[in-house]
Amino acid sequence: MVNEGGQLYTMEGVAAGVIMLLTAYIVVSTTSIYTTGDTHIPDMQLEQLGSDVLAMMDTRDAHGDAKSDLVTCISTTDRSGFRAAFCKYCNMRAGSDDDLKMNAYVYYRDQESNTVKSYALDEEDFTTGRENAVRVTRWVQVSGKPSNLSVGDVDSRTQAVLVEVLLWRA
Amino acid sequence: MACMNEDGQWIVLMGLLVAVGLFFLALIINQSALVGQTTAEGVLEFPKNDIRDLRAAVFDYVDRFGNADNLSSRAVRQDITAISLERKNAVVSFSAGAPQNVSGRLLRPVTIHYNNGVTEYDETVYY
Amino acid sequence: MRADDGVMSLDFLAGFTIFMLALIMVVSMVPGLLAGLGSSGIDYDAVAYRTGVILVEDPGWPVYPPWEMNADPDDIERMGLAVSKETPNILLSTKVDRFFDATFAPDDYRSKAIFGDIPYSYNFSLNISHPWGYEVEQTGDPLPPGYGYIRRVVKIKEPGVANIDGRFASQYAIPNPGAPEWNATVRNFTVQLDFGELLDPERDPAYRIDPRTEPVRVNIDFTQYCTDSSGATLQNVTFWKKDPTRPNARFTRIPFSYDEENGDLYTLHTDGFPRSLAPGAPVNSSISLVLKPAATSQFTLDQNSILDIRFTFEDETPHTNITGIHHYDYNTTNVALPALQPAVLEVAIW
Repeated sequence: MVNEGGQLYTMEGVAAGVIMLLTAYIVVSTTSIYTTGDTHIPDMQLEQLGSDVLAMMDTRDAHGDAKSDLVTCISTTDRSGFRAAFCKYCNMRAGSDDDLKMNAYVYYRDQESNTVKSYALDEEDFTTGRENAVRVTRWVQVSGKPSNLSVGDVDSRTQAVLVEVLLWRA
Repeated sequence: MACMNEDGQWIVLMGLLVAVGLFFLALIINQSALVGQTTAEGVLEFPKNDIRDLRAAVFDYVDRFGNADNLSSRAVRQDITAISLERKNAVVSFSAGAPQNVSGRLLRPVTIHYNNGVTEYDETVYY
Repeated sequence: MRADDGVMSLDFLAGFTIFMLALIMVVSMVPGLLAGLGSSGIDYDAVAYRTGVILVEDPGWPVYPPWEMNADPDDIERMGLAVSKETPNILLSTKVDRFFDATFAPDDYRSKAIFGDIPYSYNFSLNISHPWGYEVEQTGDPLPPGYGYIRRVVKIKEPGVANIDGRFASQYAIPNPGAPEWNATVRNFTVQLDFGELLDPERDPAYRIDPRTEPVRVNIDFTQYCTDSSGATLQNVTFWKKDPTRPNARFTRIPFSYDEENGDLYTLHTDGFPRSLAPGAPVNSSISLVLKPAATSQFTLDQNSILDIRFTFEDETPHTNITGIHHYDYNTTNVALPALQPAVLEVAIW
């Protein structure tokens, strides 16, 4: 008689333990899955858009053109031209224009010290540091030191530089 | 009274079995909910745009230098390798060979190697 | 005895608790269950992305003849808009026009561009930035809240045009029509397309003139070449081909329904009026011919062929001084190739 009562209490204890663990697991797993999925998709969309924009800026409009818009912007350090072209392409929509923000940097290698350095091509958009920004890049070859550049130690040789654009939704 | 006790155990046991069964079922179903998310992750993980961009850069290099191996061409190759490693965590190397006759056209064999730890990409293309 | 009563009610309590918790668990699984098996919500973005890739980075299938020339949607396997698979994000204007024309049913878009297990709703739009402003092409239903979306930046390649105007007068106008060697009633003017040069594989497909996929456009400013106020009679426009790889190659006239107006194959306007290829009518000011790829594909031309478009003028005494051969080639004086136009393709799926 006494033992039978004890059996049931043990059973209850085990069941309650299992159920509590399950509930905790389910609550954690269902919520976490959806938040990660939701943040990845806008990242993917922005990254694709930014890559497309840089690739199209690096495409010559006609076969006779010597340089693409992007190469011209980098080799003459045309900050406003770069911003205008990039923002036009990436905010264009069938309806009203989008409002994406961006900052652009150029990475180059210093031959003497063999280190990778950078300068800001366009840092006009204000960042708080909490934006969920994506990074898109494009290689550009310039045949000398970019003109109109205040940064002193860019080599004057033919070189490959990496244009890096941080892109985020305001 | 003893009979009543045994009935109660049966109910609890069944309840436990159902709960455990549902747990495994739910695990399987929740895995399939991940499909949409993993597509977006897969797009982000696979560096398609990086590889395309690298190919374009290599073709620009070949346009400019061909298969020459001199100070300035070596410097550009080092630029691409060093900046790739620094900014994109990718090991990159490439080379261009002497022009060969490929079905009536003179083309250079260009080998491209890309490895960012997750994705490795090797290509020999005639350009 | 008192202890046994308590045990009995606890049996029920425990069983019911387990049942309730299992029920709560199942209810909490319902969204996951729908997301996984119903392929809704979370996978719209993935489908939109995939559709965007097919449209922007793929030239479609079949390739030759290109899908956009198939009048029957059942003959089309896949609708891609890219110029070639080597040039992602460069779209061909003829493919774009065909994609957005009204001949496709929603099921055609679903089976040839979206490729899903369930019948998704869609909205495609393309905003082209011309120098003169924006042009929007759109197809599909109005957007509901909660759709999957992707936006791709592209450039659009438009066909070249040969404008034969006063710049060529010194080349094509006979300086002294009264001279005996010009004393004929017939005057021929030829526009020549050398496919071997046009389809040169060295040429980047993004800047290629390919008459097999793009229309050939010829505009003649005839005021420069007309020597009689009553106009010169354009007897006919004929197509001739030559295969230089054959021995004794010569031009042969291509059989074609010249006297039948057919807007799918060509359009010919003289002085602004639509004509067949055998107008037999006087021309004073302008001749404008658009030879569509559907016609070129009937000519059975290959990579080496040379195609002549021959304009024949005939009057009792010549009323025009035009003669010679205009080369439709990569010389930008001869053929003006428009610059690539930036555009944005948006795909929405729900």
